[in-house]
Amino acid sequence: MSTLVVDDDRRAGEPPAPLRRRRSLSLTLRSTLVGWSFILPNFIGFAVLTLVPVVILFYMSMTSWNVFGAANWVGLDNFERLLQDRSFHKALTNTLYYAVVHIPLTLGASLGLALLLNRKLKGVAFFRTVAFFPYITSVVAIAVVWNMLLSPDTGPVNQILGWFGIDGPGWTTSSTWAMPAIILVSVWREMGYYMLLFLAGLQTVPTQLYEAARLDGASAWQRFTNVTLPCLRPTTFFVTVMLTIASFKVLDLVLVMTNGGPGQSTLVLSQYIFNKGFVENQFGYASSVAVVLFLICIAVTIFQFLVNKRRES
Amino acid sequence: MKRRTPMVIAATAAIALTLTACGGSDGDTAGSTSGGDGKVTLSLAGWSLASTPEFKTIADAFTAQNPNVTVELKEYDATNYDTQMTADLAAGTAPDIFVQKNLKMFYTYQSGQQLLDVSDVTNALDAATGGKDAYTVDGKSYAVPYRQDSWVLYYNKDLFNKAGVALPDGSWTWDDYANAAKAVTTGLKGAGSKALGTYQHSWQSTVQGFALAQTAGADLASGDFSYLKPYYERVLDLQDAGAQVPLGTVTTNSLTYQAQFGTQQAAMLPMGSWYIATLLQQQANGEAEDFEWGIAPAPQLDASTAGTSATPVTFADPTGLGINPGIDKGKVDAAKKFLAFAAGEGGAQALAKIGITPALLSDAVTDTYFGLEGIPTDDLSKFAWQTHDTRPENPVLPTTAILQNILNDFHTAVLSGSVSVDDGLAEAAARAKSEASF
Repeated sequence: MSTLVVDDDRRAGEPPAPLRRRRSLSLTLRSTLVGWSFILPNFIGFAVLTLVPVVILFYMSMTSWNVFGAANWVGLDNFERLLQDRSFHKALTNTLYYAVVHIPLTLGASLGLALLLNRKLKGVAFFRTVAFFPYITSVVAIAVVWNMLLSPDTGPVNQILGWFGIDGPGWTTSSTWAMPAIILVSVWREMGYYMLLFLAGLQTVPTQLYEAARLDGASAWQRFTNVTLPCLRPTTFFVTVMLTIASFKVLDLVLVMTNGGPGQSTLVLSQYIFNKGFVENQFGYASSVAVVLFLICIAVTIFQFLVNKRRES
Repeated sequence: MKRRTPMVIAATAAIALTLTACGGSDGDTAGSTSGGDGKVTLSLAGWSLASTPEFKTIADAFTAQNPNVTVELKEYDATNYDTQMTADLAAGTAPDIFVQKNLKMFYTYQSGQQLLDVSDVTNALDAATGGKDAYTVDGKSYAVPYRQDSWVLYYNKDLFNKAGVALPDGSWTWDDYANAAKAVTTGLKGAGSKALGTYQHSWQSTVQGFALAQTAGADLASGDFSYLKPYYERVLDLQDAGAQVPLGTVTTNSLTYQAQFGTQQAAMLPMGSWYIATLLQQQANGEAEDFEWGIAPAPQLDASTAGTSATPVTFADPTGLGINPGIDKGKVDAAKKFLAFAAGEGGAQALAKIGITPALLSDAVTDTYFGLEGIPTDDLSKFAWQTHDTRPENPVLPTTAILQNILNDFHTAVLSGSVSVDDGLAEAAARAKSEASF
């Protein structure tokens, strides 16, 4: 509509100078609109499927609702209940345990794999593919196979440990070892994917820098810490952020490997949300747990961005 | 050029909206109302229709008697049935008649006003119909049972004979059962077989269902779960003695009870009566080995309810049918007629023919059932199938789902040896207090 107005204006207006200004205005407007039209398809999808549900989630977290009928406004009651809820505390601790161990392990393993497979080896493409395989395999199949491998009495893992005189733990059947078992499997599953990101990052490291470092007499370790790591920083940052969010939201592997057990030893926040919502029909309360998880993810990500910015400057 | 921009926006918006609108309602296909010619189409929920013939069987049997009523089936996923049904009910796209798969969700449906009052149908049912009181709230009934399974003890006659141990005679308490399991394990080992005395599946109901049903004064809602203690101590003892596979092995090796009993890895199996039909089918198609088996009443807590002159106490939730209050008013009568049929003799006969345990166990129905090919026809099996006091596994309470979750954590923690029975009970009681008292 505004373009039409400009048209009429131009015909009526006499001096040419304002015309050019108006034209450029309409040009800005037009490019803005064109830009919007490019974003719009995605944005509408995002708004309908993500943004609106998230906003509703915040509202739901202040209500008590069992799916049917109206949601009753309860204010901050749900959050007060969370403070007292020992199962929630357990789920939170377990999730932090998982994240704190899983993030550095995966980071290290995937970087190591990337460095290993960044050389000119025979059949390197094959090994890269093999390392990526676990990531594209169905998580249910992985869980079934690993559960068998880790079976306390009949599993090969404990049999091999037995050859070295080590009495293997109960893994997923022991409340102490279930979480380490899950972390082990998830590191194995995800390192291929992050390895791929690191491999891409390694391609961007200029070879001149290595040559210069070598001329200066830098050892392999010095080259790694002074050339490779600084050049990889953008990749490392991206990988860390993605890994952190994924770790806090972990659900599928836990669900199929241990279903939160034995007892509550591997109960994580996402599963707690699922249980409270879809099993116990306390959707308001489940929403408030989801809000807490959302806030944790946001806070950790902002923190990481701040740290990254400080290092950059 | 200038006029094109708004059009581009409009076009993209239109495309985007159409795309996102695709996820809208496409489930209301069964919403046809009663026509002027007296013909009525009812829609009925079911799950895994290809492998679960009961829904089609009842629907066909009903239509045979009432040619002017057509029953259309709407399929749901078996594992996510209640989640999907909840979503459909909330969206107003649920079928006219839907199944109460177990009693866990009944409270939510009933208190959420998603079930029509069907007291008139329930009141007209045969007094012997099992589980019909489970759906009564404040004197009004909200669903009728068409299936009432109950837990019994399956045993492998061949393995018992091989081990030289006397077969169950219907008088067993749990201690008798435990002794037999150990004796059979020892006997089979002596005979060179690796099979164990019994197999207990990973479900919490295999222990807790019996404990809740058989212990006098046991109350799930009380938050005092001490009634579970003797049951768990017995199971731990059987696990330690090697007479049954430990829970950890069941879960890590994804064992199934069908394979364990069907391929003669275990001589006994406490399980629901639904397994009879599966076992018959698997023996016929070769998935299960060919051996002589029978069913005995579930072992009892003490001798007072044991023996064929008493009525053994066991458990299982009835499976019921309820009417969606969103049903077209003109179809309510037909829907009620369907419920009465399914829970009555007609539905019972149709179900018994396909090996399903109906809620109404008349002598005629029992005869039909035990006429199935391959079914054990000894008197004890008939007695176990027909005679029992079956209590619900999930009492209808607002907190049932929460308490069952707590007790499931207790189950895995105790049977994996992570905590002692006493510590586990204390933890469960503390959690029940903080999580279920609101």
